[in-house]
Amino acid sequence: MQSWVQRLLTTATTAALLLLAACCAASALDAFHVPSVQAQAHVTKINRFHKQLNGNDKVTLTFNVSANLESLFTWSTKQVFVFLTAEYENSKNSLNQVSLWDHIIPDKDKANLQVEVKSKYPLIDQGSSLRGKKVQLVLHWHVMPKAGVMIRDRMALSEFNLPDSYTS
Amino acid sequence: MDWQGQKLAEMLMQLLLVASAVAAFVVGYAMADFQLMLLVYAGGVVLTALVTVPNWPFFNRHPLKWLDAAEADRHPRPQSLANKVVLAALWCCPPYDKFSAPAG
Repeated sequence: MQSWVQRLLTTATTAALLLLAACCAASALDAFHVPSVQAQAHVTKINRFHKQLNGNDKVTLTFNVSANLESLFTWSTKQVFVFLTAEYENSKNSLNQVSLWDHIIPDKDKANLQVEVKSKYPLIDQGSSLRGKKVQLVLHWHVMPKAGVMIRDRMALSEFNLPDSYTS
Repeated sequence: MDWQGQKLAEMLMQLLLVASAVAAFVVGYAMADFQLMLLVYAGGVVLTALVTVPNWPFFNRHPLKWLDAAEADRHPRPQSLANKVVLAALWCCPPYDKFSAPAG
């Protein structure tokens, strides 16, 4: 004979399966969402550019970032992680990426960023190839959903040239 | 809970859960609120459990009708060889649906 415990377990299992299906559907719908991000970033000042004792080039920068990331948010977005990288090419690597600044946006109301910041993390080259180098600022973002797959994207913003000589 | 009741409980459970999942998804998407979807679905699951888990009286409308012992004595087991074969076959793989009470 079937007991109430059996019926409860069957109900719980089916309920969990359907919840999984609902989460998958929510995540799948996000794939059709096309955001329109508008962003700009410019270096306003190169605070210090020098060679560290271990021979690595180190730059600290000030830059402004204005980014409207509101369109990234959908009904199932938990938060957006956004970070700015400096990307350049040198003789050792065709692509170097150094994270300069990052920020967590917890909800849509706070997704319109207008900030002028000092680089949170210094631009350090593994070597001394930064003098006179053309560096590109790239904005990356990770859209973290409440359930499902994380969506990553990036946008190249602007380029700047580092000075030909160290500042100190 | 009788056989018909079990079938009914299973069907009700699946129907209610699918319906509440679909309703929760539509409501959550329409209101753009993931948490609302979870709350609506949780409500649906609790409702489903309340309807299908306890042994409600409407799951017991088709009780099994067993033969009276006196009735069985009046029809003793047939002893011919052919009947023995049939009985053996019935014993191996009994047609269970024959033993459950007819609907209504």
